[in-house]
Amino acid sequence: MVAKFNPSVRPLPPKPSRYGPDPERIKTRTVDLDGMVSVGVRDLFPDFAKSIYPSKKGVKAVREATVAALEKIDMSMIRPGDSVNILGSHHGFTILGGDPYAEMLKATRDVIVERTGAKDVRLRAGVGLRFRESDEYIERFGLDKYFDGKARGVAPIDEGIPIETEIGTLYGIKKCYDADWIVHAHNSDVREIHFHRHVDRAVKPFGMSYARLETRSTYHHNLGPRGANFAARAIFNSDFVQKKWTFATFLKPTPAGIAGVDADNDLFALDERLSVDNFRYYGKILTLLSRIDECVAVLDFQAPIPYVFSAGMIFANFSASSVDIFDLDHPLPGYTWYTESFYGKNGKPLIPDVAPVNPAIKAIVVNYAWGGYPSVFWAKMIPTIVVGEWQADVFRRDPQNVEFMKHALVAEDLQTGIEMAKRIAGTDKVIAFDGAPGAMNVSRSLASDLVRMAPDVDGDVDQQLVPKWCRQRGIAVGEDAGVAAE
Amino acid sequence: MRVINMFAEVDPVKCTGCRTCERVCPTLSIKVQGRKEGKKAAVTLNTCVGCGACSERCQFGAVSLKDLAVPRTIRVDPKAVDGRKISDLCLKAKLHPEQVVCFCTGTRAEEVAASILLGASSPEEISRTVGARTGCKVECIQPILRLLVAAGRDLKPVEGGWQWYGLTPTIWDIPESVVKKYSSRGFYFEEDRALFTKLLEAEGGD
Repeated sequence: MVAKFNPSVRPLPPKPSRYGPDPERIKTRTVDLDGMVSVGVRDLFPDFAKSIYPSKKGVKAVREATVAALEKIDMSMIRPGDSVNILGSHHGFTILGGDPYAEMLKATRDVIVERTGAKDVRLRAGVGLRFRESDEYIERFGLDKYFDGKARGVAPIDEGIPIETEIGTLYGIKKCYDADWIVHAHNSDVREIHFHRHVDRAVKPFGMSYARLETRSTYHHNLGPRGANFAARAIFNSDFVQKKWTFATFLKPTPAGIAGVDADNDLFALDERLSVDNFRYYGKILTLLSRIDECVAVLDFQAPIPYVFSAGMIFANFSASSVDIFDLDHPLPGYTWYTESFYGKNGKPLIPDVAPVNPAIKAIVVNYAWGGYPSVFWAKMIPTIVVGEWQADVFRRDPQNVEFMKHALVAEDLQTGIEMAKRIAGTDKVIAFDGAPGAMNVSRSLASDLVRMAPDVDGDVDQQLVPKWCRQRGIAVGEDAGVAAE
Repeated sequence: MRVINMFAEVDPVKCTGCRTCERVCPTLSIKVQGRKEGKKAAVTLNTCVGCGACSERCQFGAVSLKDLAVPRTIRVDPKAVDGRKISDLCLKAKLHPEQVVCFCTGTRAEEVAASILLGASSPEEISRTVGARTGCKVECIQPILRLLVAAGRDLKPVEGGWQWYGLTPTIWDIPESVVKKYSSRGFYFEEDRALFTKLLEAEGGD
């Protein structure tokens, strides 16, 4: 079959950040190379929800959706003289350039002020392992001004506060909880499935973005690969948090764009709704990606290696997908920190339960990525080529990746890097993790594979996998998940 | 093991002496000295590992990382300590000796155990000797605290510091009522306990 494909979708331009290379150095993107085409997410899976953003309305559509979602929310606990912390996360700002999430935060603030009369409404934006990342977004989107000088990035090494939970003492970031009330303003993007395994996805920031380092270490070392996210539930369920709890408002991305905004006073009800949607949408993308037989992955986005994404799916999930990572019967996907920690000194797993890194990824080319996440694991496991000394220096000067370049080669330019990777990999199939909205930028050869495989994936996910994933998490759903999710 | 190729440098003009850098330094290598308006942060270069905690949290842009002219390496060789003692300590902390505890430096439990058996008695001393806690500064604190407790060390957080506060629960501490309550909600505690047990019984890979 000779299929006609769309021209490749241009990714967002590089952004300046203390964690990445100078944007001026990123002259060529993967989509600039001959043979790259684009496969639209809705061309692959026509039943995906329509997007309100990107759209002609722009971020106004997000504001309208936020206001509409908040209409049903009970805010009566907030009195005019009270203080309110809107809790956000860096991650929301990485979705479609960050404008939709920033607009949801602004609209949420405006509705709270209007409905309750409270004037002291602050933004506390958490981070992952790049402690100034949210400060960069606060500045870029003018949030400090919008929040009357009360927007602030918070980090896991900031002053903490003990929180008594049903499993013992955990620790939160004090500044997240220094108001009378908290609002959980997040998003439903699946992101780190390998870590949270989509168990309590909506609750996760209570064990991560809003949590101190002790809690995060508990998550990744103490509770097990399928119990990790209980750190979040334990904190959320604590008396301390419940006394401050008001509601959650979530931006709802799908691999095709922003589908809307959801809000609820009941976080677990919201979690169940978003879980079913995520299984249907992101589940199809990840299942499709996991059926790729061989490829070169080009990382080309303003994020650390695991967080660059294609059709809404981050590279870490793709690299973990030698097994179905939504399926909780698999304890240790090809990548998680539990997986990484279980490799012995001889470079082999200490126990047979460790799944291999996705063997379809024959080589990695890093054209544009940030530091700020320990990424040596991938360079050790997969032949890795870094484009340009400027990108190599990002890793060399990053305390989390000092030894990354010991395991990687440097190419002078992207074209040469990809040619080298193709020879190493023995394949001409290329996929770009470049964050292009609503589409996957791939080589023509891989595009043909994706189009051919998509109908089977569509049926398998709807008929078999979504019901299984839901059953494992105690989520009631009909056997025909497509109907249930509507 | 940690390769150190950077160090922190303070701009005294920008430094306000607020002590945030001092409170977050994992090796206690930056301290505010002097009195009143003259209070400024100063770096002890022979223990600074260039982790960047100070520069990342300084709200005044007063601390930056600079390249070391000659990188140096810190490590503790587990072979310098009786292997049986290392194994016993790791297993008491419910860690496999070869288990990676610090993803940034690749430090394994056995190296932290060796550091403790050679005299390290706090996370700060461990960070100075093996480099763990000096990459992301976040993820490896609990296995380190577990090893210190297993060795009988008394955990004392740095007074006035935010480096770490205390030990937290492990999967073995979760009450059975909690395990039972959430087992149908996707939290596979029993299965993950079995996984850890299998790990602890596994032979080493080396």
